[in-house]
Amino acid sequence: MSGLELTIAAFILMLVAIFLRVPIAVAMGVTGFVGSWIVRGQPTAVLSQLKTLPYDTFSSYSLSIVPLFLLMGQFATKSGMSQALFRAAADWLGHRKGGVALAAVGACAGFGAVCGSSLATASTMGQVALPEMRRYGYSNALATGALAAGGTLGILIPPSIILIIYAILTEQNVIKMFAAAMIPGLLAMLGYMLVVALYARIRPDAAVTAPRVPYGERFLSLAGTWPVLAIFLVVIGGIYLGKFTPTEGAAVGAVATGLYGIWTGGLNLTTFVDCVLSAGQTTAMIFLIILGATVFNSFLGTTRTPQALADWVAGTGFAPMTILTIMLLTYLVFGCVMDSLSMILLTIPIFFPIIEVLDFGMTPEETAIWFGILALIVVEVGLITPPVGMNLFIIHSMARDVPITATYRGVAPFVASDLIRVVLLVSFPAISLALVRWLF
Amino acid sequence: MPVLDRIGRILAAVAWLLAILGGVVLTAMALLTVTSVIRRELGFGAILGDVELVELGAATAVFCFLPWCQLQRGHVTVDILVQRFPERLHLLLTSIGHLTLATVGAVITYRVWLGLGEKLRYGDQTFILGAPIWPGYVAGVVGGLLFTLIALQSALTPRQQPSPGAAE
Repeated sequence: MSGLELTIAAFILMLVAIFLRVPIAVAMGVTGFVGSWIVRGQPTAVLSQLKTLPYDTFSSYSLSIVPLFLLMGQFATKSGMSQALFRAAADWLGHRKGGVALAAVGACAGFGAVCGSSLATASTMGQVALPEMRRYGYSNALATGALAAGGTLGILIPPSIILIIYAILTEQNVIKMFAAAMIPGLLAMLGYMLVVALYARIRPDAAVTAPRVPYGERFLSLAGTWPVLAIFLVVIGGIYLGKFTPTEGAAVGAVATGLYGIWTGGLNLTTFVDCVLSAGQTTAMIFLIILGATVFNSFLGTTRTPQALADWVAGTGFAPMTILTIMLLTYLVFGCVMDSLSMILLTIPIFFPIIEVLDFGMTPEETAIWFGILALIVVEVGLITPPVGMNLFIIHSMARDVPITATYRGVAPFVASDLIRVVLLVSFPAISLALVRWLF
Repeated sequence: MPVLDRIGRILAAVAWLLAILGGVVLTAMALLTVTSVIRRELGFGAILGDVELVELGAATAVFCFLPWCQLQRGHVTVDILVQRFPERLHLLLTSIGHLTLATVGAVITYRVWLGLGEKLRYGDQTFILGAPIWPGYVAGVVGGLLFTLIALQSALTPRQQPSPGAAE
């Protein structure tokens, strides 16, 4: 069996196992283990590698940024920042058509600046904004849809766990990736706001306006969001200016957010334990998948499939844009049923070598950054596409009386705005790269 | 089965404690790093070997979190297909899934145990501080063992539940 045939067989078996509910980390790890065994003819090498691989993977300095950012995000959920952000956004936007939903989206974007996880953003802002929207009699579809979509801003706006993993996998500069995500992230926010505004005009009964708030109060509540801005500037600015490494930046962010939480009283021993357990659970889940993916990717490396595939694709003479479109569509399709991290870890080792040999008329680094942003956005769409969209489930679990089909209906226009944005970003790489070019 | 129940409660309590320990290690890593950054910016120089300590701490913390994650049945699975199966088949596949986790956990724990033996025998140390690496492997063996036992327990008591979330 050739390397390519073996890889295809391995991929099919792995996907079958995953769909039969074998945990994704196990499916990747076992397939990689057996695959390497077949290629080498004996299991000794992999078995001996397994003695040190778990420790070596978990102790990676560049990966240690992940639990630190998760802890920071958890502290942020308990510190009262979400309430302050929503208050300010509602004061400024509430009196517009669909204003409370606009405010929810804006507050999600603000929270995304201190939280690298989409689920944490959706659940935190959901707790704050969902009761408000229901109080004003917003339609269930709009309220749950806006929050599920707004949650994805948590990961589009830096810091972002998925971007960190992408940067590590493809050996890119994390802070350049963050810079590249800024404008697309803000564009996403504006797109979602546009959807809310249109929705409120087409269905005025779905979104009542809140009373107008005087400017004095508006500025006061805006000032209340200073900790979010300060922490974002210190963490991201500090990494950008080279004051500290990304991991150090995450540590600074976690400590600053924690101290602020203690100061506001939101963080005490009980909530600290909650934060730690929650961050710990997500950390373990991520690192187990990374471990499985590492074993699988070392198998891929021994088959030399990624290079062979890249050479083959380059030889076929397909237009680079065609290939890129196929890849993005693959993400969209699999995103309906798979989680974003597993998709990135599974596909980047195969897709990235192909992207590297294609000519998009940019430098290799710019191509890598641009592709990373595109991949991030299309896997994030997976979080809000039925039937399996984690953000939809999170919001659904908070509003049990709203049928999930109403949420599906409500989120559809937001998915449409995502797709339009993907087309824009594919057509105009400069949207993603402008800030990188300007800053570096 | 009261015996199983009692074992389950003990496992859960230990996993909780271990996760808290992991959280304390993680918090300590963050505090150490921040102290190091502040010292460096003020011109006192970074804490010697801070990166190594973070690495050792990260590995320890992750190993400590593994059993807790399994206790919460938090490892990512794709449930969309099996949800359409009859309930008994669904539960059977859920059990098998946990069993695969237990098997992989057992193999990895055994390999890390062997790795621990080697680290002790050759006395591997970190580069700058010369700190021993083996404590990280002890965390690996303890966390791995507990993870395996909890996965076994989950396999014996499968529940239907929507897959909890993924990361990001």
